[in-house]
Amino acid sequence: MPGRVPDPGNALVPFTPEVRDPVVYTIHHGLRRPVSRLSISWSRGNCLRVSVLCQHDNISESCGDASGNSNEEIGGKVVEVKLSSEHGEIDDAHNRMIAYGSVSPFAHLQSRKNYVSMLSKMPMPSSSYHVDWLEHVMEYSKDINSLLGNPKLPPSSGIEDPKTVLKMVEEPTSLKAAWELMEIFYVDKQRQSWLPERLVDWLAGYDSLLLGTESTTVHSKLVDLQRELVNLQATEDNPKYWEGISSALAVGWLEIVVKLLRLHGSYQLDQLGNREAENGLVEAIAVLVSKMPLMRPELRDGSLGECYKTKPDFVKAWEKWRGQITKLDCSGFWVMCDHHPTKEGLKNMLQIMLGNVSGLNSATGHWMELFISHLLYVRPFNMGLEGMYNLAQKCMQSKQMFKNDSLMGLFLGILGENTEVVLAECSRAFGPWMVAHSIELLTAGNNQAEILLHEERYNLGGISMEELYRLVYAQILSSHALTSQIAPIYLASCSKQGMVLLEILLYKQAVQHNQTLLKNLEICRLYGLESISSDIMKIAGMYHWKHGRKGCGVFWLQQAQDEIRLNRIAHQLFDFVGKSISDESFKRWEGLIELLGSETRTAGGLEFLHKYRDFKKSLQQIQGGKVTDATRQAVDSLMLLMKNPSTPQRFWLPLLHDSLKLISWPGRPLLNVAQTNVLLIKLQGLSFARLQPNFSEVDLPPHALSSVRLALATNLGRAILEE
Amino acid sequence: MAVIGDEDNLQIHRIPQSKYVDSVRWLPPLSAFDKFAVLALHDSDSDASSIEIHALNRSDPTNLQLQSSWVSPSRVSSFSVSQTPQKPLLAASTYGGSLHFLFADPVDASLESELSLADKSLHRGPISGIDLQGSGFECVSVDEDGKVNLISIGESRLNYRRLFDSQGLVSYTTAKWASPTEFATGGLGFGIQWWDQRKPGGAASQLKGNWARGNTSGMVHSIDIHPSRKHVCLAGGSSGTVFAWDLRWPQQPIVLSGLLLGETAVPLSESEVWEVQYDSYMQSSEISNPSSAKILPVMMCSEDGFLAVIEQGEEPIQVLSEPCAINSFDINQQYPSDVICSLEWETIVILTRL
Repeated sequence: MPGRVPDPGNALVPFTPEVRDPVVYTIHHGLRRPVSRLSISWSRGNCLRVSVLCQHDNISESCGDASGNSNEEIGGKVVEVKLSSEHGEIDDAHNRMIAYGSVSPFAHLQSRKNYVSMLSKMPMPSSSYHVDWLEHVMEYSKDINSLLGNPKLPPSSGIEDPKTVLKMVEEPTSLKAAWELMEIFYVDKQRQSWLPERLVDWLAGYDSLLLGTESTTVHSKLVDLQRELVNLQATEDNPKYWEGISSALAVGWLEIVVKLLRLHGSYQLDQLGNREAENGLVEAIAVLVSKMPLMRPELRDGSLGECYKTKPDFVKAWEKWRGQITKLDCSGFWVMCDHHPTKEGLKNMLQIMLGNVSGLNSATGHWMELFISHLLYVRPFNMGLEGMYNLAQKCMQSKQMFKNDSLMGLFLGILGENTEVVLAECSRAFGPWMVAHSIELLTAGNNQAEILLHEERYNLGGISMEELYRLVYAQILSSHALTSQIAPIYLASCSKQGMVLLEILLYKQAVQHNQTLLKNLEICRLYGLESISSDIMKIAGMYHWKHGRKGCGVFWLQQAQDEIRLNRIAHQLFDFVGKSISDESFKRWEGLIELLGSETRTAGGLEFLHKYRDFKKSLQQIQGGKVTDATRQAVDSLMLLMKNPSTPQRFWLPLLHDSLKLISWPGRPLLNVAQTNVLLIKLQGLSFARLQPNFSEVDLPPHALSSVRLALATNLGRAILEE
Repeated sequence: MAVIGDEDNLQIHRIPQSKYVDSVRWLPPLSAFDKFAVLALHDSDSDASSIEIHALNRSDPTNLQLQSSWVSPSRVSSFSVSQTPQKPLLAASTYGGSLHFLFADPVDASLESELSLADKSLHRGPISGIDLQGSGFECVSVDEDGKVNLISIGESRLNYRRLFDSQGLVSYTTAKWASPTEFATGGLGFGIQWWDQRKPGGAASQLKGNWARGNTSGMVHSIDIHPSRKHVCLAGGSSGTVFAWDLRWPQQPIVLSGLLLGETAVPLSESEVWEVQYDSYMQSSEISNPSSAKILPVMMCSEDGFLAVIEQGEEPIQVLSEPCAINSFDINQQYPSDVICSLEWETIVILTRL
């Protein structure tokens, strides 16, 4: 076998890698020039993005191109290749609907689990929880099962066509079949004593899935027969008719058997007279079939047979029924029946009902059908899983079928009580969704499986297999934009690595659009990830800031309470304010300044913009050399800004530089001695600060400091003289 | 919280779409018997977006019949339907910054013609909100870069003009007409701006953003204005907040739901309120009294999966509670008992209140 696992002893799960021959697909990129570079990356979901780049060659070649479109020479192309899984039974959109639908049952079961484990820590008898717990899992299983499709019956027309023996229902999926198998064996313990009958029902629903290349199935036989029945006159002459009847009988589809028997020619009014004995035999068998004792609590809708809930009742009825069959077998009426195929067919049916092994063997196609027929007629009484497993092996042998599809592999794994095989089959055939969700069924009442799946393993990095499979599923979910919203629910149920992976997932999400951003922040809120939340807001803030949405940037940084970045961008905002503020643009600023509010906590260093706006506003209103209210207001604002401790030091010089025309006001000085002193002290502080290594220079003319100093000194002199 | 979700007075139909539903609207009925729903869809696998008009089957509401569909060049960010049945008109804005106006056939709701504006000078990036004027052919569009545009829709051509550009200092998330000359926009910090075309140069009035300051602040996602109460802006946004801003008392908004201003009542929702609309189905004695200060009943949908009706001073009534987000909804203006909403999980829900 190519590519064997190097050391199978290390493998957790017995695993035979199915290495198939590589399949070659051709991508049409439509480029004529030789390809020089190829880059392959993952795109959305399971899309591969293949970038094909051409060689950058000279133009002469393309000029000589005869096709005439040399102007449109393409340098490369990006091709998206969509990879769909080989399991094409269910399309992606339906898979997503299943993923969405399973969130609630899963989350509900987890919260119940947490509750039960909390209760079990209290000193109380725990046996009652066990039963309760199976009920919870059963509820979960039913919820999930209903997502996988409900057999929709076609609208009944009121009048039933007697020739329609097989109702065409929605094509069943093997995913649903697999889920039901696991439900039957692992969860539905209360109905365990009726297990054979449950399997009969299961086969009735999913027999069509067993159709392989090696065998025909009862279902496919009946579909063929159904097609022929419409045109058939004397049905009983056709060997296929009798084959169909005995096949249906072998797997216990009693209502189909009876329906087919009633199509027998001897029931026709014109024939009833001369085929009386024959008709009597057909009817006798039909009655016997419809009275077959079954060990089950209730019948399915429209099914035949008689139910017995307990074993003693059933055994008694079974013996009686068998007696009737033997009696009919020895009856004298057979001599009077001169229609040979009928006689043969009916006798064969009796043999099936008596459990004749070779009769069962020839009536069934797939080994699973043979298995079911054995359960029905050879060993109708309970047997353990081990007995069933041996029986299954025997059936496979007698049908010479050794290659099993995924469904049968799963079935054998269940019968063999091998949790690892069950998991491997689930994973191989049905994917991560199935494994992550079916673990709940596996561990429901099974201590051994629970230990296996919950044990923390060194070779898995200290996590359990249960967690591993959930993480794998969550990874699949997060690879798609739409399902990544539900991945956190699964990650949160992983105690060891879940939250770390959730944090990584959240970090990776795009911040461009507010809607997705807010949805991710909501996830942070639900799982108490405050630090991630604030990091995401910071990322969003910087993203918007860099794209020119200043208000948006400031908003998110405020939400994140990121004073460091707010202070940093304050500098840039200040430049922007200084350059752009004019009368008509004040309206623009209103909104942002309102957003900033005046609280230091949320605004960072930005709340001084409030005052700066007022200052700039009045500075602009100053005209010529006349002292007006605006001039006085400008001086007041300047003093307020300079005295305010929240005005960042780096803004001192620009502020003073802007106010040069106030400081060196022609005529009377506007600033008195005390005010000038305050400004001079600030200026001195600034001069000292410039000597510090981490001082950042502002973008002003180099002589700004000296011109401010000169102006202040002049003003001080004038002010002293004035006073 | 009161629940009206029992089967006696509510019919619920869930219809999977197998595509993400960005938004849903009712189309005004063309005849008394027809009901049409408009869906904005996004297929994340092929990255294709479209707008589809579906007819509702009266006997089997789960059976939607596709009437027509239109392929959008980019994902639909917002869309609006004019409420005049004579000339069904749809306006859609995209993340790519283009605006599209679709004219539907008045008989079978098939899409007849389209006018588009893909000018980069209109909006540079995603358009965050648009609103068509109820009767007139005028549309307002806003974006997060701070542009406010007015588009007039002619028979065969579109004209637009820039009303305002904040150059990124203020972002707008949604817009709603109040009258032929006035409209409101919403944005960050629970801010609302009131615009009057007759007063150029900026917003005529604005709700001071810091009213909500405390533990939390957030965005306004949706605004509604009742035709009989043009002075009241109803808004929904972050942290389960639903509030009304009365222009006559502009200092302090009226909070209908949310964890604000130290209120002790437990809010219905603590997550984003994606859409709000006045619920004309809920009978209210206040409707006949336009001078009453009481806010009319409001329907809202939220990220944590609630669809509910809120009345001022009363316990909210939960209409629907889903395990996933309800991203948008629309009340049928002609049959207010009908509500359509879109769920995060690629599904729409059609509700009929009985």
